[in-house]
Amino acid sequence: MDIYLPIAEVSVNAPLLIALGAAVGFISGLFGIGGGFLMTPILVFLGIPPAVAVASEANHVAASSTSSVISYTRRRAVDFRMGGVLAAGGAAGSFLGVEVFRWLRLLGQADLVVSLSYLVFLGVIGGLMLTESLGAILRRRRGEPPKPRRDRRPPWLYGLPFKVRFPRSRLYISVLPPIALGVFVGILSAIMGVGGGFVLVPAMVYLLRMPAGVVVGTSLFQIIITTSLTSVLQAGRNQTVDVVLATMLLAGGVLGAQFGARASMRFRAEELRALLALIVLVVGLKMGLDLFIRPADPFVLVSGAG
Amino acid sequence: MAVPMDQPPAAISAALTETNVRVTSSFRGARIVIYGAVFNPDTQPADVVVLVRGPQEPVRIARKTRVAGMWINSRPVVFEGAPGFYRAASTRPLRDIAPFGVLRRLGAGVDHLPINAPEEQRIETRYGVRDVVVSRLGADYGQWRQAVVRLKANARLYAEDERGVRFVDRGLFRAEVDLPTAAPIGEYRADIFLFQDGRPVASRSRTLTVEKAGLERTLYLFARERPWLYGLASVAVALLAGWAASVVFRRT
Repeated sequence: MDIYLPIAEVSVNAPLLIALGAAVGFISGLFGIGGGFLMTPILVFLGIPPAVAVASEANHVAASSTSSVISYTRRRAVDFRMGGVLAAGGAAGSFLGVEVFRWLRLLGQADLVVSLSYLVFLGVIGGLMLTESLGAILRRRRGEPPKPRRDRRPPWLYGLPFKVRFPRSRLYISVLPPIALGVFVGILSAIMGVGGGFVLVPAMVYLLRMPAGVVVGTSLFQIIITTSLTSVLQAGRNQTVDVVLATMLLAGGVLGAQFGARASMRFRAEELRALLALIVLVVGLKMGLDLFIRPADPFVLVSGAG
Repeated sequence: MAVPMDQPPAAISAALTETNVRVTSSFRGARIVIYGAVFNPDTQPADVVVLVRGPQEPVRIARKTRVAGMWINSRPVVFEGAPGFYRAASTRPLRDIAPFGVLRRLGAGVDHLPINAPEEQRIETRYGVRDVVVSRLGADYGQWRQAVVRLKANARLYAEDERGVRFVDRGLFRAEVDLPTAAPIGEYRADIFLFQDGRPVASRSRTLTVEKAGLERTLYLFARERPWLYGLASVAVALLAGWAASVVFRRT
């Protein structure tokens, strides 16, 4: 059953999109990520113009994150104060990112920057997470005690001004690092069509040293705010949000996210991280390596204002 | 050829089966049938050529070049004069029907479309000759121009069908034109020519409108005319759906 999308101006298979939405939603609930980094490349592969895929995906991520964040709230696993600080940075980042994306489209370099961002960010983060989580799994298999967690946090976190207490995260740190992190994730959200959970979760664990229990819920909370804003900005500035596409994705997505959030309680944290790392790495390499393959046709039509 | 004065000149008449294509959510392309009759009083063999052109819009095209192992887009070049959709259907190969100059003047055939890149051109004096048009793309200009046509053809937007017009009965012809889902929205123009001796002796023009209809049109106009409100509405749908799903799941 094909359906013609009014903004993307292509015809797609509706049940396939709903199923994809559900599958990515499940992954989203399972790992506490938006799932945009998976969905955007899939949409582009299905022939949806990249600009529309990026913008509509932000909308889908907002929906599936809302669906799973509520169950995290019930478990008191969201640090709203930290989420708010991150989101303030994220808002600034989205504004910047939407303008940068507009400019890149005019230069005809949007595709390059998107592919390179996937290769660099997903490659590096996937690689680091995989090494770390495989190490943890191996140590547990051998019966060794888990590596003692270094409680010494990096000194630069404490040397900065504007310190704020985050009781839920048991932190007393400067607001500058979370704001900077938020800005960075906001830019990625607009350029790559992702929520940014794959950057936020490791950054919260390894840089901010937040307790593992609140990381996922807080990341989802900040993602909802950033992607909602990105979605409105993309619609207003670039007119690239396809509401029919987003609705089909989120119909499957919100259900998948619920099952994913339940399933996540059955796995060990390091196993989940290893699996996520593997997915992240494969997507990053696939997107990035295409840059190095000789194109079938040296010429390409580029989108953007004529 | 001497045509006696009392004999009426050759003429052609044509019509479209559909003059309005509605793009709704179930749109999967459309087939337009162009049919008509040729009044050919003398025994001169006649050819029919049908040209269908979609709305024009500038094409931005870039060339991938290898930089540090990666294939990177060059600066995009804007080509103008490229119709959004193009079909040339004829009874015989176009080059057998009419000479180069005639085809070029009518824009008959993908090689004869008036596609050029005005922003890249400048007029200068060379070897004492004034008003020479020079393109910044230099000797590669032809390759760029061909690439525009090739990429459009790959998207099934441009095609030539040298057997696309068939005579179904004496003087009665028929041509089919398939619009893919990627066909642009707007006014299309179909030009139907009757050729004799390499010259167009009669012609007809018909218009065709491709427009969004129903829900597609409502959403499209909403997104175009009130983009901010549209953005807010789509986010509201997303957040509500997410919230609703979690409420439903808590009960079960």
